[in-house]
Amino acid sequence: MTLFALVISIVIGSGSLAWGYLQFGLPQFARWIILFGAAWLFAVWQRWRWFAYIGLIFNFLAAAFGLWFLNFTPGWMFAGAIGGLTAWDLTDFRHRLRFAASDEERRVVETRHLVRISLLALAGFGLASLAMLLKFQFNFEWAILSAIVAALGITQIIAWFRKRS
Amino acid sequence: MSRAWFLGSLILLLLLAGLVALHGALIALTIPLLLCLLYGLWFSPDEVELEVRRELSAERVAPQTPVKVSVMITNTGGDLEELALADVLSPALAVQDGSNHHLISLPKNKSFSFEYTLRGPRGGFPLETIHAEAGDHLGILRVARDIRTFGQLFVFPPVARLKQVPIRPRRTRVYAGTIPARVGGAGVEFFGVRDYQDGDSPRHINWRVSARHAEDLYSNEFQQERVADVGIVLDGRERSNLFVGGHSLFEHSVLAAASIADASLSQGNRVGLLVYGQYLEWTWPGYGRLQRERILHALSHAAPGASQIFEGLQYLPTRMFPPESQIVLVSPLVEDDYSTLIQLRARGYQVLVVSPDPVTFEENFLPRQPQVQLAARVVRMERGLMLKRIQRAGIQVMDWNVAQPFDQAARRVFARRIQTGGRP
Repeated sequence: MTLFALVISIVIGSGSLAWGYLQFGLPQFARWIILFGAAWLFAVWQRWRWFAYIGLIFNFLAAAFGLWFLNFTPGWMFAGAIGGLTAWDLTDFRHRLRFAASDEERRVVETRHLVRISLLALAGFGLASLAMLLKFQFNFEWAILSAIVAALGITQIIAWFRKRS
Repeated sequence: MSRAWFLGSLILLLLLAGLVALHGALIALTIPLLLCLLYGLWFSPDEVELEVRRELSAERVAPQTPVKVSVMITNTGGDLEELALADVLSPALAVQDGSNHHLISLPKNKSFSFEYTLRGPRGGFPLETIHAEAGDHLGILRVARDIRTFGQLFVFPPVARLKQVPIRPRRTRVYAGTIPARVGGAGVEFFGVRDYQDGDSPRHINWRVSARHAEDLYSNEFQQERVADVGIVLDGRERSNLFVGGHSLFEHSVLAAASIADASLSQGNRVGLLVYGQYLEWTWPGYGRLQRERILHALSHAAPGASQIFEGLQYLPTRMFPPESQIVLVSPLVEDDYSTLIQLRARGYQVLVVSPDPVTFEENFLPRQPQVQLAARVVRMERGLMLKRIQRAGIQVMDWNVAQPFDQAARRVFARRIQTGGRP
């Protein structure tokens, strides 16, 4: 079940990005994205877990590039990024599943995990789409406010990590 | 770098890019990542607090005997969304039934039990660690902990039952036993004739000898039977035990040593064990069941090893064995061991050599070619010659073809020795 979901995530992620690029008349880019997706699938077959990190970075950078420089439709780009994120998560989850003792135990954990990651992916996609739909005027004041909030958030996260370690 | 740090860095990168470009879509792209990270931070456990209880169906077993392991884990901390558990085992142990690892969700104050069956070869195996790894469902933040438990599994070597080991050391101990003591007194075997003394039983009067003397009476004297000191030396040298393809005679030597120790202790003797290999492992001499346990413990841990110092038997520490006691050497023997054995004999020790036959053993793993057969024949002749020379020096030798069970081989050889009064 996990493997199926993982393959689907990679296909959707790479496919969405490639389709987005193709729609805007960039077949060369689309071809490279498809090629990378194939390489990711090969890495899944070979159980190269490290490749998922490269895959996640690649998908997000490809999405960001499309959004930033080429002003693509956000939908396909978000779908590509979220596909990459889900594939990255499932790659690690698949590795953790080695601890499962029986098919029953595996099924329970898999079901729970897939439900949560699906909900999170949907929520992420929904919130991002909503943000784009509302189309805030993103001016300099908003940027300053976002920077302050981001800095505070990161400080909190670092403090939290240090407390734990 | 942990997954949380990785996500955090990616979020930061996108956020910075969004701020620099003043592009809302780039910032919106961080939302799924942020959700994942926040979920991980929210649901990951602060600490893993678990109580573990492990029980074994048996702690001392024979090789490849199934042992049931029951583990009960209680969560004394907070809820654990995803908990990976692994009872850490030695690679030599094999799980036969069930599983020693699990992936579960364990709420606060709840318990989880699991059972599995394992088996293993000879050895001592600590079961001291349960590895627990807890985290949120997305595995963003994980806390790992090794929980210490107490437990050990001893797989003792197999012991072949021997009725008697025909040993006859020059010196025995004072306690009554089954070894002829070369001293007259109460016993079963005839020892000699002496003058009748007050208190002698009339049944012990030797009437035939007394009839030849008009005035005196003579009594039969019997050989006292006492316990003796037996020192078992197990040869653990790699050069004498390891053969082509990594095949080893050591397991057979261990079986022989265990069987002889068991039989000697059953006869009431004081038995010590010296494993002579990579280093010297000495089990002090003792009597009875406790000593049997100690020797089996030592044998369960024994392994062949190489050492430049103990390459030959010349460094055998004879001072560890009481003078004129019995030494049982369990060794496939190599050519230069002959002189050491002669020296032992010259020092007054009674020596019994139990030698698993390395030539026949190794021949089984070699291709059946004329050259191999010729070489085996030559080596067998050399070995036969060496064993003959050892026997001529007054050393008892048991040449054991390991294809035959040890108790059967020993019964045949030892029965002959017992008939000849333990003489080689």
